[in-house]
Amino acid sequence: MPAFVKFWGTRGSIPTPASWTRVYGGNTPCVEVRFDNTLFICDAGSGIRELGKDLLTRQPAPKELHLLITHTHWDHIQGFPFFAPVYAKNMPVHVYGRQAQDNSTYQLLSGQMSSDYFPVSFKEIGHSISADFFQDGQREIDGVIVRSFALNHPGGCFGYSFEKDGRKIVYATDNELEIKPGEVFPDMEDTGPPRHMPSSLLEVARDASLLIMDAQYDEREYQTKQTWGHSCCFSVTDFATQANVGTLALFHHDPESTDTQIDAKVQACRLRAARHGANLVICAAREGVELKF
Amino acid sequence: MADQEPTMTGDIRMLRRGRETHRHSLELLEGEGALREITIEGEELTIGRSADTNFRLSSKRASRLHAFFRVRGTDCILRDNDSHNGVYLNGLKVYSAVLREGDVIQVADSVFVYHEE
Repeated sequence: MPAFVKFWGTRGSIPTPASWTRVYGGNTPCVEVRFDNTLFICDAGSGIRELGKDLLTRQPAPKELHLLITHTHWDHIQGFPFFAPVYAKNMPVHVYGRQAQDNSTYQLLSGQMSSDYFPVSFKEIGHSISADFFQDGQREIDGVIVRSFALNHPGGCFGYSFEKDGRKIVYATDNELEIKPGEVFPDMEDTGPPRHMPSSLLEVARDASLLIMDAQYDEREYQTKQTWGHSCCFSVTDFATQANVGTLALFHHDPESTDTQIDAKVQACRLRAARHGANLVICAAREGVELKF
Repeated sequence: MADQEPTMTGDIRMLRRGRETHRHSLELLEGEGALREITIEGEELTIGRSADTNFRLSSKRASRLHAFFRVRGTDCILRDNDSHNGVYLNGLKVYSAVLREGDVIQVADSVFVYHEE
């Protein structure tokens, strides 16, 4: 069976509705990963609101939903109170922690629905939501092998990979691929050699059909934003090349990036990948686009 | 004081009524026959090799019902119908997509530019 991936929110940091974000979208992270009728939701940014409305119209409706939160910074959870299926009460939602007994994500999701922040109490929807967990970073769900892995982001963050029938989807947002000493940076003219990447992360992404990866900045922007927990697109391109992935989707677009600037970033990354001899499809994650693998 | 009085009166819905109207069209850039504009009428436009489709292709690279364009609210959505050769949006193979002004769509050997008004 093929895997389907649909982008419902691709923007980082804060929702950015504007004429200049109309193509790639202004909603914060939410990605649907679907194998047959098993449905995973990566992050609950503002994009999850539209996903929720869509889920309620689907035939057949999913029997249950698996919600995987990378971390609880606002842009990754702010849409959850507006996720209609939890009010419909006939579509159970599993929220996953990193380990057994780890219900911190569940607690933080419920915390943002305290009366100080939101008018509807978590108690009213709590019975639709169950706290679940991974065992040693792995879990098999309906035949899909789901793995979680640590990323480099202030306060911590986890990525997820999904594997079934030879298809592998990797979601790795809010991650900083750091520049190593001696590497060419900023590489404004794109003349430098490939950058060195963490081997453990390369193994996680190795041969993925699709890698969705944080590429918030270009070389110029990253100069002033190192240690903020996001990567520049040339590093991500080098990473995808070395991991031998099929398709790379640049993700977590900067709120200041216009559609035109994102187009330019994609083109620059394609040229860099070609210069390094990579057989790699590169795109920018775009709200409303669904891919099939 | 008279300068500060509103210069327009009436129901704002009437003044803005044009905003409710959306027109979706495809400009055929490359492909079969004369270059032309195809308006997406109603809720759906189908494309493929079958005589039953709204926009018929003769290319062997086209599937019988290759893809369709669906109007949902103010959006137009492109959807591959599990065709053999797929559909491409700005050079990327996609399964479905909400279209935006200026998008370039390839179905078999035909290339279109999407327009919204």
